[in-house]
Amino acid sequence: MTYSDGGGGTPGQSLMFAATKLNTRNHRLQWLVRALFGLMTLILIVPVGIILGVLVVRGGPAISLEFLFSFPRDAMTAGGIFPALVGTMWLVAVSLMASVPVGVAAAIYLSEYAADNWLTRVINLAIINLAGVPSIVHALFGFGAFVIFAGFGTSILAASLTLAVMTLPVVIVATRESLQTVPMAFREACWNMGATRWQTIRIVVLPNAISGILTGVILAVSRTAGETAPIMFTGAAFFFPFLPHSVFDQTMAMAMHLFVISTAVPGASDELKYGTALTLITLVLLMNAVSIGFRSYLRGKKKW
Amino acid sequence: MSRTLRVLPFLLVSVACGGCDGSSGAGRDIIQNKGSDTLVFVALSWAERYGEINPSVAVAVSGGGSGTGISALVNGTADIANSSRKMRNREIEGAQSRGIEPIEYVVGFDALAVFLHPDNPIEALSITQLAEIYAEGGSHETWSQLGVSVPGCSSDEIVRVSRQNNSGTYAYFQDAVLGQADYKLGSLHMNGSSEVVDLVANTPCAIGYSGLAYATEEVEMPCISTDGGDCVSPSVESAIDGRYPIARPLFMYTAGEPTGMIKEYMDWILGEAGQCILVDKGFAPAGSVSCA
Repeated sequence: MTYSDGGGGTPGQSLMFAATKLNTRNHRLQWLVRALFGLMTLILIVPVGIILGVLVVRGGPAISLEFLFSFPRDAMTAGGIFPALVGTMWLVAVSLMASVPVGVAAAIYLSEYAADNWLTRVINLAIINLAGVPSIVHALFGFGAFVIFAGFGTSILAASLTLAVMTLPVVIVATRESLQTVPMAFREACWNMGATRWQTIRIVVLPNAISGILTGVILAVSRTAGETAPIMFTGAAFFFPFLPHSVFDQTMAMAMHLFVISTAVPGASDELKYGTALTLITLVLLMNAVSIGFRSYLRGKKKW
Repeated sequence: MSRTLRVLPFLLVSVACGGCDGSSGAGRDIIQNKGSDTLVFVALSWAERYGEINPSVAVAVSGGGSGTGISALVNGTADIANSSRKMRNREIEGAQSRGIEPIEYVVGFDALAVFLHPDNPIEALSITQLAEIYAEGGSHETWSQLGVSVPGCSSDEIVRVSRQNNSGTYAYFQDAVLGQADYKLGSLHMNGSSEVVDLVANTPCAIGYSGLAYATEEVEMPCISTDGGDCVSPSVESAIDGRYPIARPLFMYTAGEPTGMIKEYMDWILGEAGQCILVDKGFAPAGSVSCA
């Protein structure tokens, strides 16, 4: 790191810019830290890459239209995954119908209406705790509350509501955060025009916060589609010979199906297992991609 | 956005009203069948076949273990419980206190096979030896104590593969082989029979057990002898004629004397069509049947 001053000065002058021992050491350390942290980041990506790679290589050959759109045969050792695929979509759709309105409404209340008092703080604490509850505990809660007490039986409705309770904190927290990123000045300007709080929320705050709300929904979708424990007791069957007709039917589900063909059924080929896993992960990534696309479209329309 | 918000209440109502339709019956009746992981494999096949024969009835099958099925029957979330062990008196009393009289059906028999890695030279085991291996206080910890050295198993230690404790297979093995003693600590408790087979097939040091129907070509099954008796290999035939020492009946339980579609389903299972599916899956039938 020596610089020539270009002006033909004496060597003594250029020494002014020469790296001291301390400089070199700092530089070396800086390079080391950078390499180390870069490596950590790389390690983060490696499992994702390996998982996707292995799934594509080993499960790819299994994927066909017939695999996706036919029923399992021969005690699930052959055939397709259609009922599980449809079942997962039912579960995701119904649970979003429950968790999104409730979660968004709660977040609007907490962010736009609630005063900062002890009650609000208790609610916030409850939400954080709800997010930390293990999924198997949610499963037991759902079994007691929805299957037995509410009398829904083991059904899509009970399973979806259990999943909704589980994903509620994700939706609430993401929505609240995004509502709070809308500048206060927007609201004040609106109020000054004589608008009520609700008018302000509806016309100014929500349209500006929608991309953040969708982030919450994306996270909820991924979790809903991938969970096994909460639906095991509440609505998912190992095998159900028909597609579900209503929310009171039981259903098969992708995550559960993968669990079953991997642990309970002898003779299911590895290709079938990897194919199911690949389809599940693709389904989640696809749903995420649609939401992400929509979100970036809305963000592009943002005027600030 | 405002349009979306106006739509939301309707979505909520539509969920609620999906309920109104569903509860009045969507033209299809559902039988909930839950329980034993040993039976789940054949229960799946029954449900699959029955759906083709009688499309107006849907049989939803779930596993989880015999205990899971029995408690589901008692709390009303299953119509038929599958169990690879008899209901315990405590469980029957629990059901009766809720006004449920469990009715027992023997739907077949299962030889409980012991699995070894194909490299393991052992070809015969006695019940006593199995108890020494699995039961608490038993002396056998290494393969050399059984007089063999297993290629690929350098530690010489016997890796005991077992089932989770709500499994009927776990309970039956405990009764029939361990003489009701506890399992040794440090056994591996697997959640499914095919998990046991997979693990043993890949672990030279391992020994495991589960229903014969779950055996694959990747594991060896030693013949089993009682003290002083002949050593009998597990097979459907030796389970039927009672020569194989650790064969057990498989049960299904209904809540009260079944009527209507549940009765029809049980009759079909115990009839020739159902029994032949059971035989096809590697179990022994409850009565004598002639299958193609």
